[in-house]
Amino acid sequence: MNPVKLSARWSAYVKGVLIATLIVGGAADGSAQESVAVRASLVSGALPVDDPNAAAWNSAAPAVFPMSPQVHWPDRIQEVTVQDLTVRALHDGTQVAFLLEYDDPTQDPDDAAAIEFMVGDKKAHFAHGQPMLLVDGGPVNIWFWKHKDNKGVDMWAKGFGTLRPHSHQDVTAKGEYANGKWRIVFSRSLVTEHPDEDMQVTPGQFINIAFAVWDGRKDATGQLIEKGSQKAVSSWWYFRAEPPPDYSGYLYAGVAAVLALGFQFVLIRKLKEGQSA
Amino acid sequence: MGHSLIRPIIIMGVMYAVLKFVLPNIPGSAALPSSLILLYLLLTLSGIIIFETVSAESKDAFWGPMQKFLTGDNIGGLRPFRYGILIFFPLLVGWQTYNATAPSGQPPAESRVIHPAPPGEYTGLANPVPRTPENIMQGKGFYAAFCSPCHGANFDGKGPAARGYNPPPANFADPTTIAMLQESYLFWRIKKGGVGLPIEGMPWKSAMPRWELELPDEWIWKIIMGEYDGAHQSPRTWE
Repeated sequence: MNPVKLSARWSAYVKGVLIATLIVGGAADGSAQESVAVRASLVSGALPVDDPNAAAWNSAAPAVFPMSPQVHWPDRIQEVTVQDLTVRALHDGTQVAFLLEYDDPTQDPDDAAAIEFMVGDKKAHFAHGQPMLLVDGGPVNIWFWKHKDNKGVDMWAKGFGTLRPHSHQDVTAKGEYANGKWRIVFSRSLVTEHPDEDMQVTPGQFINIAFAVWDGRKDATGQLIEKGSQKAVSSWWYFRAEPPPDYSGYLYAGVAAVLALGFQFVLIRKLKEGQSA
Repeated sequence: MGHSLIRPIIIMGVMYAVLKFVLPNIPGSAALPSSLILLYLLLTLSGIIIFETVSAESKDAFWGPMQKFLTGDNIGGLRPFRYGILIFFPLLVGWQTYNATAPSGQPPAESRVIHPAPPGEYTGLANPVPRTPENIMQGKGFYAAFCSPCHGANFDGKGPAARGYNPPPANFADPTTIAMLQESYLFWRIKKGGVGLPIEGMPWKSAMPRWELELPDEWIWKIIMGEYDGAHQSPRTWE
């Protein structure tokens, strides 16, 4: 056997093995850190934008987010009613709808809930997009619902004291109370004509989302216990509208498998030629 | 398959077992990332190849059986195994390509720096409050009023308001938190709060209040004293 030829052939073989090993290792190392997200499934029928009890919601995967008393800025609160919030979402390619569910022992006129989104590319602090000292932050878009009004209010904020309703109101909301549980549906078009003020949904992309809930119960003196900044809040989590199915991965996999098969064929053929030489 | 191939296979197997199962169980160690295991295995493989090809005889003894296996030349009962390898390899490449190119569907990876570097004016400050039992007691009182709802009455980060916050409030009893920091670092973090973090600290997620707007500096220094004493930790020093 010719040592020079053999060395060259095995050099090619080893390179092939190393490439395959690197592919294996690279893929194993490429997994992303898992975070909690609410995902809006793509549906073909009409969205249940005004029906919190629609059967369509059963097809949406629930995400449960823990809630805390708001202690970040005054006025604070030490204890709140709502401990966990279950969120589902659906979209049809033009509109998105969120269903918020939580336990509340009493139905009160001042029961309220809100969804908060970052707007644009800049990060915004979860507390109403308040200014950060070393980072240039962006605004937040807040969708608000209160039982006694039973409608959605589309708002904007960039820091404390800046919260204001939009001149354009794009959000709808409707809540229904049954069996000690609130179910509230928020909906809006995926995109609006005000990208500087409104969250814009691009299917496939993750958006930061947070939540707030007020239990409208009153104390012995008739004063609201949870009001304004005294509320249950969540941290930032993620929201994504699921994109249409993408099958390109199968095509790339097929091409790669055929190339690997071809590589084997050429390698073995060359080895056999070397043996017969 | 020739004798020369058995030894490298055993070495690679033993190396993988050590990296995957033995090292993580050594006290003070942790599971190795798959990328590091791969790197070590590649280095091992490189060493084996260099060792086995130093002479023409060893080279033939090393490569020859593999060449025979691949060409199917007189391998007898190994023939089904050879077909299995030839089918498995393209499928493996296809599968890995799919994993690498298919949309992940996972949220963006977040790598928050837990203890980012403080601004220059907050390095090396000494606590100006005398360390007396009275001041420590007062600091614990301030801690109970302002800090314990999140950081916990037991200084363990498990206060009644902590459950919904991500990142969670710091656990001061954990030796990797305040025990690794100087008092001046805590002074910075308490004064400026979450919104005072640099970008690598992801300030938009922190619920830590900016206490400089509500508490005098003297109270903050006393709180620091109370925290260390209550958590049974000592500040990091340079000696």
